[in-house]
Amino acid sequence: MEAVAFLFYYITPYIAVAVFFGGIGYRLYRWWRRPPVTAHLSLYPRPRGRAGRLLDALVDLFTLRGLLRVNKPLWIGGFIMHMGLLFILIGHIRAFTDFYFLWDLLQWGKEQQHQFSAVAGTIAGVLFTVPLFYLLGRRWSGPVKWLSTPEDHFLLFLLIAIALTGFHMRLLTQVEIEELHTFFRGLATFRWQPAPVTTGTAFIYHFAFVQILMLYFPFSKLMHTIGGVFSKMVARS
Amino acid sequence: MGVLTQLVQNLRQRISRPLRYYYDICARCGACIDACHFYSYSRDPAHIPAYRVMLAKRLTEGGNGSNGLARWYRDLGMIDGRTVEELEKAMWECTGCRRCAVFCPFDLDTALMISAGRYTLLQEGVGPEMIAEIGNAEVSKGEIIDMIKDFYLEQVKSLEARLQEEFASDLQIPVEKEGARVLYVPLVGEHAIVPAAKIFYAAGEDWTMSLFTATNHSFFVGDMAKAKQAARWIVEEAKRLGVKVIAYPECGHASRLLLSFFDGWFGEEIADIERVNILQLVAGYLQEGKIRVRPGTFDVPLTYHDPCNLGRNGGMFEEPRLLIQSVATDFRELTPNRELNWCCGGGGGLVAAPEMKEVRMKAGRKKVEQIQRTGAKWVVTACENCKAQLRDLNEHYELGVEIKGVIDLVADALIL
Repeated sequence: MEAVAFLFYYITPYIAVAVFFGGIGYRLYRWWRRPPVTAHLSLYPRPRGRAGRLLDALVDLFTLRGLLRVNKPLWIGGFIMHMGLLFILIGHIRAFTDFYFLWDLLQWGKEQQHQFSAVAGTIAGVLFTVPLFYLLGRRWSGPVKWLSTPEDHFLLFLLIAIALTGFHMRLLTQVEIEELHTFFRGLATFRWQPAPVTTGTAFIYHFAFVQILMLYFPFSKLMHTIGGVFSKMVARS
Repeated sequence: MGVLTQLVQNLRQRISRPLRYYYDICARCGACIDACHFYSYSRDPAHIPAYRVMLAKRLTEGGNGSNGLARWYRDLGMIDGRTVEELEKAMWECTGCRRCAVFCPFDLDTALMISAGRYTLLQEGVGPEMIAEIGNAEVSKGEIIDMIKDFYLEQVKSLEARLQEEFASDLQIPVEKEGARVLYVPLVGEHAIVPAAKIFYAAGEDWTMSLFTATNHSFFVGDMAKAKQAARWIVEEAKRLGVKVIAYPECGHASRLLLSFFDGWFGEEIADIERVNILQLVAGYLQEGKIRVRPGTFDVPLTYHDPCNLGRNGGMFEEPRLLIQSVATDFRELTPNRELNWCCGGGGGLVAAPEMKEVRMKAGRKKVEQIQRTGAKWVVTACENCKAQLRDLNEHYELGVEIKGVIDLVADALIL
């Protein structure tokens, strides 16, 4: 068990990061290698100019406003889940560095920072996790079950596992973020530091699941984060 | 299995860049399920747009149509007779209306894939070959045009004589007139010529008619090389005559080609020739005061059906409404309309394939419900395909409505 934990703490993170970026590059290359279409795919209403299209695509993707018009339940599920994820990702910056500027500005002490993180993090976590169960339920009922593949289930379960281990650390332990800073900086500079202890065992599970997600990301439908922008740009050209 | 291998190889060659990433990014979220008029009556998974993508992907990539992981279980996605059956349904029972693209959070253009899939299937003889045959005829027309030209000109002359008698004594239908401003490319049959000729006459337009027709059935079966060749005859004619504008008639797919494909096909060659649909041209006449119409000429309740290729695929939402409202008193919108309008069920060339009639009638149910909800007596539209399908629906479901073209209305309300 020690050896496995060691592996996930100090060895596989490098592989995960390499595969994540390398894999995305490989995917983009595979897309780029195919001949582009010469026609305008001309889906209307169509914004003017390249900048207009990019702006439109980003607004669409961040608000999912198209989905809001045609499928409200899915919009609620999809939009809230993605927003929760966005807040969580922003919050996780604190695992690597801190919002020193923000804290100075608000003149918040350590206790206030902790309280804010606890509340905001929990809310973001709930926003992220509850819709995941809804999306999972959808996959088992109605016509969506015909569209559901092991990939869809695997990703949902993986995200739920990541969320639950995250909740464990948020709610059941008192994490010292300096410990995390030390650990991650150690990883980044190849001067390994001891693994965090205030996080309990949940951390290694959380960390391992995230690495699995990073390994799988470039080869999964999660590439829609990048491809979605391309697709929308081309469709409205 | 040999046939299937060939099919897979052909399909692989047609995977363009967008298709490549469509395969990878479709999240199978199911937003498109409610978009498809075929699925709305059949509840058949092969009609779900995302499932169609999965089928195509399963064929070219193996596995079960999803990404990475599940492809280890190759036997999940074994290609068998049932797959081909589903594939035939998925590729041919589609009107390429792209309503699903509007529903899709990533705007995945399913029609792009249908186009590739159809081409591949037809090479193996799977699908209505009739559509391809008409396409071939349109391609060869350019080669034999000199042989049929005299007969055509004779026909036009007699039509012109009739219109001079009925409408205006100095009306002309010029063909192959050099230096004319507008080249109007009609459809087969006088119904696409008469109203246009009247409007051009009223607007004092310097126009000429093409020897060719706008329709391009090769596009329906995804044979882009032939589609381009059929379009080339028209481009060459336009260059030869030195026209400034190419105007296409009330025909959806041809207008889409003109407005969205010609740039990529002919580029510089036609960069200085403006390309419009007749709706845009006539709406322009009205706004510039070149033609005048009697407001309130028609007081029947009427509605407008947005043809897919003019509406969500061509951006002509307001022109037809402007024209209709300038001559009619009781205009009623279909719900939903504009880019969310239901397809009539006859697009994608299906109207030209007799064996698709039954499917078409079922796929038109949504349209029928929409029309009935408005209580309109006339259904106005601007696409030949839609008109044919709406007439069939009218008969099949005994709607008791009349199907009209937008420019028919304008031509009948002209003040000379």
